[in-house]
Amino acid sequence: MSGEFQQAALTLAGAQHFPAWLTDARAQGAAVWQGLAWPTRKTEAWRYTSLLPLENAQWQPAQARQLTDLSELVELDAYRLVFVNGHFAAHLSTECPAALVRFSEADSAQQALIREHLNQVADQQQHLFAALNSSWLQEGVLLHLGANQRLDKPVYLVQVSDQADAQAMNARVLVVLESGAEAELLEHFYSTEADDKGWMNATTECVVGANASLRHYRINLESEQSLHTGGVHVRLAQDARFNGFTLANGSRLKRLDYHIKHLGSGSDLQLNGIYLPRNQQRVDYHTQVEHCVPHCTTTEVFRGVIADSARAVFNGRIHIHPDAQKTLAEMSNRNLLTSDQAQVNTKPELEIYADDVRCAHGATVSQLNDEALFYLTSRGISEAEARVMLSFGFVNELVEGVALEPLQQWLRPRIAQMFGQNDQLTRHIIHD
Amino acid sequence: MSEQVEQLIKKEYAAGFHTDIESETLPPGLNEDVVRFISAKKNEPEWMLEWRLKAYRAWLTMKEPDWAHVHYPEIDFQAVSYYSAPKSLADRPKSLDEVDPDLIETYNKLGIPLHEQEMLAGVAVDAVFDSVSVVTTFRGKLEEAGVIFCPISEAVHKYPELVKKYIGTVVPQRDNYYAALNSAVFSDGSFVYIPKGVRCPMELSTYFRINQMNTGQFERTLIIADEGSHVSYLEGCTAPQRDENQLHAAVVELIALDNAEIKYSTVQNWYPGDENGKGGIYNFVTKRGICHTRAKISWTQVETGSAVTWKYPSCILKGDHSIGEFYSVALTNNCQQADTGTKMIHLGKHTKSTIISKGISAGRSQNAYRGLVRMGPSAAGARNYTQCDSLLIGDRCGAHTFPYIESAHPSAIVEHEATTSKVSDDQMFLCQQRGLDAEKAVSMIVNGFCREVFKQLPMEFAVEAGKLLEVSLEGSVG
Repeated sequence: MSGEFQQAALTLAGAQHFPAWLTDARAQGAAVWQGLAWPTRKTEAWRYTSLLPLENAQWQPAQARQLTDLSELVELDAYRLVFVNGHFAAHLSTECPAALVRFSEADSAQQALIREHLNQVADQQQHLFAALNSSWLQEGVLLHLGANQRLDKPVYLVQVSDQADAQAMNARVLVVLESGAEAELLEHFYSTEADDKGWMNATTECVVGANASLRHYRINLESEQSLHTGGVHVRLAQDARFNGFTLANGSRLKRLDYHIKHLGSGSDLQLNGIYLPRNQQRVDYHTQVEHCVPHCTTTEVFRGVIADSARAVFNGRIHIHPDAQKTLAEMSNRNLLTSDQAQVNTKPELEIYADDVRCAHGATVSQLNDEALFYLTSRGISEAEARVMLSFGFVNELVEGVALEPLQQWLRPRIAQMFGQNDQLTRHIIHD
Repeated sequence: MSEQVEQLIKKEYAAGFHTDIESETLPPGLNEDVVRFISAKKNEPEWMLEWRLKAYRAWLTMKEPDWAHVHYPEIDFQAVSYYSAPKSLADRPKSLDEVDPDLIETYNKLGIPLHEQEMLAGVAVDAVFDSVSVVTTFRGKLEEAGVIFCPISEAVHKYPELVKKYIGTVVPQRDNYYAALNSAVFSDGSFVYIPKGVRCPMELSTYFRINQMNTGQFERTLIIADEGSHVSYLEGCTAPQRDENQLHAAVVELIALDNAEIKYSTVQNWYPGDENGKGGIYNFVTKRGICHTRAKISWTQVETGSAVTWKYPSCILKGDHSIGEFYSVALTNNCQQADTGTKMIHLGKHTKSTIISKGISAGRSQNAYRGLVRMGPSAAGARNYTQCDSLLIGDRCGAHTFPYIESAHPSAIVEHEATTSKVSDDQMFLCQQRGLDAEKAVSMIVNGFCREVFKQLPMEFAVEAGKLLEVSLEGSVG
């Protein structure tokens, strides 16, 4: 069964045209994908998430579509590249500087750069969907900033799924920041239709050079019927900084991997995440932070509110290699279950092979605080509204940490509406 | 030429050695006949044999687990001998002079009285007979209270209905690879039954079951606390235990019926192998208890021995308002590896569990905490608090934490906290400035680190456990 799927998945990319210089990368990805054992429920990394929705569908390559409605986009003054069903939509995109280029438009120097870094960050053996992503490569986005460069505007990458059938899409991003460069990148995934059944396989690789800084936002708000397998892979050089924010609702299958390696001393990682699955949705976050050298810091905070019959998985691992002395690493994962059928499986792991380190992790699972609820209702707020307010408050701290102001403003009402559709329930959260 | 001769001599010796004890020890290997042989040796009834065979057949279909964070050479289960009779008196050392002096030195450091030393080292002298009389007095007292405390092989004959009713109900034959193996070939172990409403008049300890000292590698313990009863059970002792069997796979089942309470304390100090990790015991243990309504099971363990430890004392909190506790200190030094922790399965309403785990790694050892807290869909108002701290001594050791938290009820509250750090320079400075040498200072700090767990141990044990850590950490500082 799984073997058949592995074969079938490969052919999805076969019919499509692609730049000749990507042939090697595709072939290599395909080889890895075929060689990997298909995960079962006994595979530790897939213990709580079933791949059956993926295996049971008849997938077709996604077709390009015209899209006119842009109301769902974040109002942001940015360099914007929009892809609809994985195909570039020129009329929706803005002019871009030379540093931001699609793979199909890359000049020979950029091609060389892409070939140099592609798959050097994402470990295909460990992340099977990154291998599949490589085998499907035909388009992608490269953001490359030279030493001490910075863009005057953030970069905004949009992946829209606009279809009703089981179609598979691919998205690939490569960020290369040379020493001292700075960039801000927003990746936004969404569906136009509520019954969108698309499957997005998105891999992002970031090479952050010495003393460079990358702010990265990833918003996954696709339809309930959709599937998403994606990963963000980062390498941090000396004194590099990565500031990540991720938000996701759930869908039939949604798996997001963050894999960050501290490879130069003094690098700093901040990673904040929010997951808000509802109804029958599933969401699965796996994060892995590797400290390979001394004097690096990691702060990781994930919060989830799980409603209705939804299920969430959080697996966070901090791995301190031998010699990575003087590491400071903290991870916190807090979960709120708001219904009897909601479920969460969380596993914050520490794997430590060095002694002079300070590492801590914490995880909690609970429901809304009765006393807080009582307080609000005693002040004349309905219980329903109080629940919305408290749920919002649970994640608000992380929302407020979003440095990109327009994104924060855009997120607030959308998050609030996930807790309470009725305007009356969110009136204290969203101010006009 | 002379080499050949030497080889020949050795060969002969090896063969002679085997024939010598053939009658009492089975040749290595495991098959249905071996299971039948063990059962027959113990004169077991037919149902017990059937039960063993069922386990054996299940074992054949199972695979050795590989998920634990431990590495060891593959075990050849066909190279193990599954039955050996206890050593005859003639084989034992005649006096303490014949015992390994290292062992004696450790006994002295732990402050173990002479006659106990002799008993622990297996010396065949009067000391043993002294203890027999002690045991007899204990037995009398227990019988008066109605408490049954005997080897499980005896219980199979004397109380078959109890054994039949409860054995394998908490750890089924096919629960896991090692449990299945144990179920098929278990040698002996303890059986305890506390009648309704009885508070066991003394702490029960394997230590007093001297006639069964050599229960061997596949021990099976079954403790049943009937409604409203209370028992405290001690397993192992602080003195180092040597054993020629490398593989140990024990099973412990606890049953706490309504309102009963079982407290199970373990001090494990099997031979950990030498500084380079040669030798040492592999300890693969399955321990699990089930709590009925308002019952309580408390596991306390101090683990300092074994080359490889694979052990997860667990509680199934089936009854409403039941309580599970787990207090653990796991210390690894040199090349030891430990993957230990607990499982708390909350099924009943308002069930509570507490997990306090302290891991200390020194030398080149690897120490992992692996725990599961599961809140079932009907565990309304259930509560868990977990704290696992690791202390690192030396820069070549590892400390790992793998907590699994699964919650399926909104009113269940789970809290997990973990920290990892080394013995702080400030603490060391303060102690040394007060005139303590580095080794004393570390042992003091480690003792403080473990205080919460030692508090749970019965008093005599707690004192010894402190000393034990000190001895086990020797040579890891400086």
